[in-house]
Amino acid sequence: MNKLLSLQSAIAAIPDEAIIGLGGNTLNRAPMTAVFEIARQKKRSLALVKTAGAMDVDVLCLAGCVKSVDAGFISYESEYSLAQHYRKSVQKGLVRANEHACYTVISALRAASYGIPFMPVRGLIASDLIDANSYFKRITDPFSGDPVTLVSAIRPDYAILHVHKADAEGNALILGPKYEDVLFSRAAKRVILTTEEIVDTAYFRDSGVKADIPAFFVSGVVHVPHGAAPCACHGVYDLKHESIKKFLSIKDASELSAYLSEEVRHA
Amino acid sequence: MHRVCDIMVCAMARMIKDGEKVFHGVSSHMPMIATLLAKAMHAPNAVHLNIPGGVNPKEPELVSFTSAGSELYDTASASFPLMEVFDLSMRGGLDVAFLSGVQFDNIGTVNASVIGDYHAPKVRLPGGAGSAVLIPTAKRAIIWRTKHDKRTFVQNVDFMTARGNVSAIVTPLCVFAMYHGELILKSVHSTSSIDEVAQNTGFPIKYLEMETTPPPTDEELRLLEKIDPQDLRNIEFR
Repeated sequence: MNKLLSLQSAIAAIPDEAIIGLGGNTLNRAPMTAVFEIARQKKRSLALVKTAGAMDVDVLCLAGCVKSVDAGFISYESEYSLAQHYRKSVQKGLVRANEHACYTVISALRAASYGIPFMPVRGLIASDLIDANSYFKRITDPFSGDPVTLVSAIRPDYAILHVHKADAEGNALILGPKYEDVLFSRAAKRVILTTEEIVDTAYFRDSGVKADIPAFFVSGVVHVPHGAAPCACHGVYDLKHESIKKFLSIKDASELSAYLSEEVRHA
Repeated sequence: MHRVCDIMVCAMARMIKDGEKVFHGVSSHMPMIATLLAKAMHAPNAVHLNIPGGVNPKEPELVSFTSAGSELYDTASASFPLMEVFDLSMRGGLDVAFLSGVQFDNIGTVNASVIGDYHAPKVRLPGGAGSAVLIPTAKRAIIWRTKHDKRTFVQNVDFMTARGNVSAIVTPLCVFAMYHGELILKSVHSTSSIDEVAQNTGFPIKYLEMETTPPPTDEELRLLEKIDPQDLRNIEFR
């Protein structure tokens, strides 16, 4: 089945209040063009999920699209410092920061992918995060009698992932670090891919290279060269420092729309 | 006079023993460079683990905007991504985790979450990343922080992101080490003094023997220049 879509129609399918898993890690292979399109379409009350997010979460907070962020770390790394729009949105009470250890996001996604309601987490034993958040619970291990902390499953409505190669059905290959993208594809109800390149299915069939993400998970494929830009995409392009700096100089949502109309290319 | 970033990176590198499995995460240029330095100096069999999952990257071309990108993957010998590094730590197999934070007390409690109330924070911090599960499970959690003042080293943290196996905290002024459950001053950098440490620490400082942090050797400095020609070890001080 051909699942090729325009960026506009792929993102239009996402309802307000959806739980969205974002691929990549910090400024590496984040699905930025899709994120820009979500901002442009003014989605509201989204629940974002990621182990370590940066500009993707920052853009969506500035655009007013976000209700909550479940993550272990939201910040640019050393060079570009704090995610100021995320930070201000949380401090103003507009966005709820659901802090996890990165591993508890992974454990929550694993629970969803295994079809179970929660996951025991070995290391989460001495942290105020446990009592401060309803998605963690301390119980007694029924086998050993020892205390154990659980994290509730997170089943995203959509995983939005930027990949290197995909065929029209949605079989997709990620080159270099895969971060949590493959897990997201299993944990989410639906997967939307943006891809650097569209390949024929024969690319996988006729070689030893097989897709990381099988097509049956995927609901839409959008051909978006430079779809992670201005973030870096392994082996294809480096970080676009000028664009990052331009975004970081933005103070409010009205300046964001000018930035987005420059950055978004319609697939 | 040595640069503080070089003193700190060398101090961290020397804490890594040969053969140990060592992890650092995002925003971690200093420990990343310390790990590469340790492997080039005294710990060639240390295992360098990281978020992209590149085991033992060889002479990676480091970049300024991330310590979790392709550069650590391209020249690696095996793939062992973040989720498996966590699994390894949970079953007791991770020797060293490098982590940071914003507030610390005298028993090594780390706050990387909020200033003020968790649900209505005065300042929302980036979050502890892996700290809450790694600090209790890694054999040694080594903390670095490039600020040393009374807002950083406090009597009571606003929020306990994690507590556990903190073995040392490396700051721009000194090295604290854990001794019977309490952080004591292990050494003061040649660029600072015990008075400066005391004046900038919010809890009373204790020590057994006062040492000067051993300065970087010529060999270490030469290797640092080779590992990190862009001087990214200084990025948090720029």
